[in-house]
Formats: sequence, structure tokens, C-alpha cells
Amino acid sequence: MAVPGLRHHREDARGRGLNDTGIQNIQGNHACAVAAVAAGCRFFAGYPITPSSEIAERISVELPKAGGTFVQMEDEIASMAAVIGASAGGIKAMTATSGPGFSLKQENLGYAAGAEIPCVIVDVMRGGPSTGMPTRPAQGDFMQSRWGTHGDHACIVLAPWSVKEIYEQTVRAFNLSETLRVPVIVLYDEVIGHLVETLDPGSVDTGEITTRKWAGGDPAQYRPYACGEDDIPPMARPGDGYRSHTTGLTHAENGFPSQDPTTVDRVARRVLGKLARHNDLVEQVDCYDLDGAQVLIATCGITARAAKSALRLLQDKGIAAGLFRPVTLWPFPEESYREAARGKQQILVPEMNAGQLIYEIQRLTPPGVPVAGFNRLDGEPITPRQIAERVEELLNHD
Amino acid sequence: MAVASAKPAPRAVARPQNVLIVGVGGQGVIMVSKVLASLCQLQGYDVKQSQVHGMAKRGGTVFSHVRYGERVYSPTIPEGEADVLVALEWAEGMRWLPYLEQKNGTVFVDTQQIVPPFACRNRHRGAVGGYVRETVADIMAHVPNSFALDALGIATALGVPKASNSVLLGAMSTALEFPPDDWKEIIERFVPPKTVQANLKCFDSGRDWALSFDRDGLLEKHAESAPLTVETPREKPDDLSHIDIEANWCKGCDICVRFCPERCLVMNDQQIAEVAYPERCTGCRICEWLCPDFAITVKTPGAVA
Amino acid sequence: MTDVPSAEFNIRDYLRTELFPHFMCPGCGHGIALRALLWALHELGISKDNLAVVSGIGCSGRVGAYIDANTFHTTHGRPLAFATGLKLARPDLKVVVLTGDGDCLAIGGNHLIHACRRNLNITCLLLNNEVYGMTGGQVSPTTTEARYTTTTPSGNHEPAFDACKLAEAAGAGFVGREMTLQTPALKNLVKEGMSHNGFAFIEVLSDCTEIYGRKNDLGESPEMILAQKAEFRSKDYGMERDEVFQPRSLATGVLSRNDHEEYTAAYRKHVLSKASS
Repeated sequence: MAVPGLRHHREDARGRGLNDTGIQNIQGNHACAVAAVAAGCRFFAGYPITPSSEIAERISVELPKAGGTFVQMEDEIASMAAVIGASAGGIKAMTATSGPGFSLKQENLGYAAGAEIPCVIVDVMRGGPSTGMPTRPAQGDFMQSRWGTHGDHACIVLAPWSVKEIYEQTVRAFNLSETLRVPVIVLYDEVIGHLVETLDPGSVDTGEITTRKWAGGDPAQYRPYACGEDDIPPMARPGDGYRSHTTGLTHAENGFPSQDPTTVDRVARRVLGKLARHNDLVEQVDCYDLDGAQVLIATCGITARAAKSALRLLQDKGIAAGLFRPVTLWPFPEESYREAARGKQQILVPEMNAGQLIYEIQRLTPPGVPVAGFNRLDGEPITPRQIAERVEELLNHD
Repeated sequence: MAVASAKPAPRAVARPQNVLIVGVGGQGVIMVSKVLASLCQLQGYDVKQSQVHGMAKRGGTVFSHVRYGERVYSPTIPEGEADVLVALEWAEGMRWLPYLEQKNGTVFVDTQQIVPPFACRNRHRGAVGGYVRETVADIMAHVPNSFALDALGIATALGVPKASNSVLLGAMSTALEFPPDDWKEIIERFVPPKTVQANLKCFDSGRDWALSFDRDGLLEKHAESAPLTVETPREKPDDLSHIDIEANWCKGCDICVRFCPERCLVMNDQQIAEVAYPERCTGCRICEWLCPDFAITVKTPGAVA
Repeated sequence: MTDVPSAEFNIRDYLRTELFPHFMCPGCGHGIALRALLWALHELGISKDNLAVVSGIGCSGRVGAYIDANTFHTTHGRPLAFATGLKLARPDLKVVVLTGDGDCLAIGGNHLIHACRRNLNITCLLLNNEVYGMTGGQVSPTTTEARYTTTTPSGNHEPAFDACKLAEAAGAGFVGREMTLQTPALKNLVKEGMSHNGFAFIEVLSDCTEIYGRKNDLGESPEMILAQKAEFRSKDYGMERDEVFQPRSLATGVLSRNDHEEYTAAYRKHVLSKASS
């Protein structure tokens, strides 16, 4: 994927902020950096990796302007640790990476999930496994983004499909992470990361910027993981007099390690259940032409853009097809999918991997409705024509 | 080998025999269970042994499940199904009692008391409530087949305090079907060569003790035994330096006793530091500085920071 | 600040006494090291509210939880990386890192050299007991040659790290070493390190009696502590004279200092001041 907007890229790097210049052409990775600062991010620790490096480059310009701190750490593990450290210090923090680095971040991502420290991680997907194809897009981290770290844990994964949506979802990632005290991963592929699109600030809908709930009241009574009805414990800021303990060990409400089966079970169930409890905030889907559709295409990211074009190609041939796109990829919007799949005769899951999302779709599709995949592993994006042809092929087989 | 030739045909047992061995880190729970497991294996049984070593640290709880029979599937013993419970430490024995088969289960418990750091949790200054309060009399009244023995005492009397595990093995051997000679053959393989004789002697003593167990006599002897008590430091006139020892925090490392230039301190029989000669204290604070457990505070009259 | 401690040092003012007795083995040197740290904090007048203690995994990692401050028990080897984020986010906090020889020099070695290089105002206490105690006594990067551990059944054949030389070469602003036996000297060294505006690396020669000492027949805790006295020499002692007789001796005291610019000061000067919004 060529980047046609190198000129704009340079201008952006000089620091022409989104809001100052109005409508502008901006690269996906740059939009992510600008959005993070707009969402209140004041700390970024990262490590260079293609194809996400532009986020670090851009935010190294933007953060000092906002009085924030940018630091390039010695490795991916350290940058994740530093982000959690900064967030534990009470400020909004982010890191960005790609597959190989994302693998290294899993260790501390688990810590953030367990200790419920808000943080945002951007994963710009490239071909894998291992070093794979650094400059080629892929969607091979769908599963790693949810199940990458060991043990049961809660995390949210947002999958934007355009530059504008990268901006919106990055802001939303901070809001969700802060509100729900959970690591949030913004997951998109190299194509969107390096895509330059026109972005009109007036059209961007980020809503209100939210910040985590701070501990209040008598420090002597404070228990770091005790919470009210909403299941989200208020967080203590170091220096405010609460002097609490934070650990990656399984802990009781008082923050200290516990192996008491009842306590462990109670705390684990609260942490794992908090996202379902706030599903109205978490879930977001985007659907097209579902009514009367015979075929449902379910996919996300750049592949969903190809699928949306394919809907028109199919329409021209008299085939009614609809698109289901989980914007919040994890926790997977199960009920919305079941609703979207109702009455469909064929499901197609195109993705730029050997088949990952299809497992989730198969699990949720009513028995008897065939679910087929279309997979590209060659480092090239899936085209609308390919999707349309695959649908025709599936229907002709019947 | 001798054991193999004397091997009886595996008895057809209705269900596997369950032996639960518990204690705290450093006592030899794993050694005892290895001896038993090897013995069962050589007798032709299917054996499963599963164990947890606390945090690989001394003083933490350690338990080992040994199950043997014609065919054993699960490696762990369900609650209430242990045929024999062997406890190398008093509180651990009490803690695991629910695992004992309530009607016919046999328990062998060493009266040795080791207060593990975690058992002292949440205890306020001066309190000793964390450790179990059950006495020998309590347990004997509660469990029909209970044997509370002072294995360490028996082994010490024989001059080999470190072989107290073999005393327990000897006692335990009376509850299991295997002949004493087979036990001894296995013990020989597991203990260091130099200590074989001592361990066998201890085994015999333990076995004799259990066979000639005098329930009533023991009940009488222990009638007045109380849970672990810790002396509170004596009061001293205000014009002298004063060493305050938080007995519940002391782990008995001996540093203060050995480093005190005036030899004020001693270890009591519970391995807890005690001020024996308060009048000798010069207030140098070496004991306080070097106490890894923060158990010692030295108060000097008119001290300034 | 709240909870101003009394003028006289009472260690209980700084401890979470409800968690005591602590979980460390009898005679573990880490307790003495913790006392020296708290004593130094008291003499420097650092408020508990303003103190953040970051530790990693292992015996050293569990020490931090006993301090009545803002304590963070992080992942294995990562406390320095975590502390870097915390200190950059909150320069107003006094940040102390408690780490061990495995945590800091093996899995966290990369973070150590870069923390030294950045020279951020953090104090790092390496509690060196030459062994992985928590996991049962495996060989560590500082295990003395020929000593036995559970993973060197025929004696350690790998050379040991000199952590202080490493820290000095990597650019740490302050490097020192002291043994637990000299508790007041250790306290003074920690004070000096914490007063240095830059990264202070202090190696505390601790001892693991129950696992390492036992395995190597080094005696009980008192013997192990006394052995420190025989093995280590103050830097001022002129150790080159008896190096021939004491091949293992390591120097204690303040080993090196430099006046490299502190990281946050450099960041303010070179980055923040040039950023125009």
C-alpha cells in the first residue's frame, strides 16, 4: 500500500494540530497520536516498530506541547511497564506497537488487567508470525488481542476501519479504559495505519472525555478494590494519602495478596464480569443492509471496507447481502451478532489471516446456517471483487 | 531384592487406601511420603502421590497425598476419606482433621508445635491467639483412633533429634498392612548411609510406642497441657535500657543472641528470643538493628534520635 | 503532610504492622535491609504519602508490601521500567525500587542498564542474596563460583556479576555497596544515595540462610552475617593491599558518582522548553 500523502505527513509532523487547521489529510497513525492527546493522554512510552512507529513519532511532537512526557524505552516490555507505572501515578498513558512487540507486552498487559490499571495499547497489525512481513498488512492478532496474556482476564479491543474512526476509537479507548479500569487495545491493520484520509474535525464524534473515578473519603477506611454497585473500584492517586498496595498477585479487596478461595473467586468474578455489566458502554457495532439480506458478511477493519463495497457489487447481480462489523471486537458483541444473523442463509467471514474471527462467528451462528471463510495470507488486502465472487460461489454451490 | 521376593500378591481392596501426610516446610513431609509411596509400589500396588510444597520456603504448609490400591485413578484424597492422617506438626494435624475418615480413620500427630509466620497473621501485639488451641486431650476425646506422640522427644532421647520422622514412620506402620522389615528396607534406601542405624532405632521406638500405646496414661499426662504460650517480657525500672521483644514476630534466627556483646539474650525452648539478663543491657541497639523480623525494640532512658 | 512520624525513629511508624510477622525466613537479611531503608527515610524526613516503593518478583519483591507507603509489586524484572513511568508521570514522588539479584540482573538486566543511563532520580536497592530463594534456591547471576544451588548440583561454573561495576559503566549517578551487618553504615549510604539528584544504585549484600546457607554449609544466620565482614572491605580500607589474600573481597561504601544531568531536568530543558503549542 503506497502512502500518497508524504507531503502531508511531513506537515503533520511539524505539529499542525487537527483542531487548528480544520479539515486536513492525515495518516491513520497520526490521527491516533493526535486523538490520544485530545483524549487527555499525557504519557507515552514506546519502542520503534513498523508499521506503528509514526504514532510514536507524532506523539513525541504533540505530547511536550501539552506538557506531557514521551519516552522511548529500551524494549517493548519496558514501554508497557512504564505506561502502567505512569497510569498508576494517576495520568492517562498509552503505548503503540505491532505484532512482535504486542507479544512482548502481554506480560504486563496481564498485570494491568489484574491490578485494574487503565492503559491504552495500539496494535497496528502486520504479517506474522515472528518478524513476518513488517510492511504488509494482516489481521492475525484478532485472537492474541483477546487471549494473548495468560490466565482469565478482562480487556477491551476496538477495531476501527478508517482514519476518522481511528481518531474516534482512540478517544473512546481512553474513556473506556479510565471509566472501567481495564486495558483497552486499539487494533487495526497496516493498511489503515498508513492510510491518509481527509478528516473533518466537525464530523468527528468523540463525545465527552472521561477520567477515572478517584478515591475520596477517609484514607483509613480506604480499601483499593472495594467498590459500589458499578463494580469499578475508585483508584487512589499516590500522594493523596491513601498509601495502598498494588500487586499482580491475586488480591483481596484490601489490595494485599490472598489465596482464600472465597475471596479469590469473588474478586475474579467481579473483574471478569465488569465489562458485561457495562455492556452499554462497551459494545459498538456497525451494520449495513441487514434487512432482507440472504447473505451476511461479518468482518472488521480494512476487510470490512472491502466487504461494504462488495455489497454493491452483489446488489448489481441481484444478491441481497448485508454487513456486520464489530467495532468493539472484544468482548464480542454476541447479542448484536445473533440479531444480525437472524434469517440469513449464508454467512461469510473474510479476514486477512487463516481464520480467527470465524471461530467466534461459528460459535454464535444458529446450527444449519453455513459459515464460510475467505482468507488471504499473502500480505495483500482482500478486494471487494474477491468477496463478491466468494459469495456467488457459495450460493451457486447450493 | 529381598523386598521383591517377599512380595505378597496385591490385596484386592474395595477402594484405594488413603494416607495423608502433613506438616510444615523443612520437616520432611515429602521424605515420609516418599518412603510410604516406594513401599507401596514395591508391594505391587498402583500408587499415586501428589504434594504441595507451600512456597518452597521453610515454615509454610506442606502436604502430601499418598493413595495406593489395585488401581488408583485420582491423585488426591477427598475430604473425609483419609484412612490415615500423619501430622508432623500439631496445628497442621488439627487443620487437616476434616480429611480423616470419621469412623475408622487413624491419626498420628506429633505434639511438636511450630508457629508458622502465616499462622500469626492479624494477631495484635501481645496476643497469642493465632495458633490452634486444641490440646492432646481434646483430640483424643474427639477421634477414637488418635495417637498424639512426642516424636521429637523420643528421637532426642535416643540421641538423634533429626530422625524424629522415623519415629512417626514407626508409629504409622502399625496402622498399615506392611511388615516392619519391609519398612526398614525402604528407610535404609532413603536416609543418608551414616544415619541408617539411628533411623531404624527410631522406627522401632515409634512402632513400639504405638503398639504399647497407653491411652489413659497419656490423657492424664496431657490433661493440663495448654496451647503455645509466650512469656511477656519482664518489667524493668525506668532508669535502665529496656529490650522489648515482640515474641509473635520473632522467628528464632539467633542473630540477636549471638551478636549481643553483653549476652543479655537467650533463645527459650520455643526458639523465641528472650531477655535473660536485662540488667546487662547497655542500650547499644545491635540486636534491634540486626533483627530481620523487627521484633526487637531497645528503649534507652532519655534517648534522643 | 499527614502522619508526621515522631522525631525518634520508631520503625513501626513505617510498617504495615497488621501484616506482621512478615513472611521472610528466619534470619533473612532482607529484613535488615528494609530497616536501613526505613531508617534512612526517617532521617531524610520523607513523607510516607509521598513515597512510592516499586518492587519486582522474588523474595525482594515481597519486601515492599510491608512498607506503609504507596507500594507497587510489579512483574518479574520490570520494577525499574515501571518506576521510570511512575517517576516521569509524577516527578513529585520519591521513588524507591526494591529488587533482587535475579530480578534486577537476570530478567531485568536490560532495564537496569538503561535506568542507569537515563539517570532518572530513582533510588534502586538491589538486595543481593546470591540466589533465587522464592523458587527454591536456583543459581543466580551473582552466585559465587563453585557454590551449590538446586540447579548447579556440581557447583556453580558461571562467573558472577559485579553489579556495581555494571551500574557505574552504564552511567548511574551514584553507586554504592554495603552489607547488612553494618546497618548504620547501610542507612547512611541509602541516605546519601537518596539525596543524590540522579539514579542511585545501591547493592545491599543480604543473605539467604535457610536455602543458600544451608545448601552450602555456610552456617546459621549469625555465621553468614559474620562472613560478610570477612569477605567485604570498605573502599577506604585500601583493599588492593590484601586482594591477594582475599580474592573474593568486594569494596563497600560509595563506589562512584557522576554529575550527569538528571533525566527530568534534561527533559524539561531539551524537550519541554522547545515545544511550542
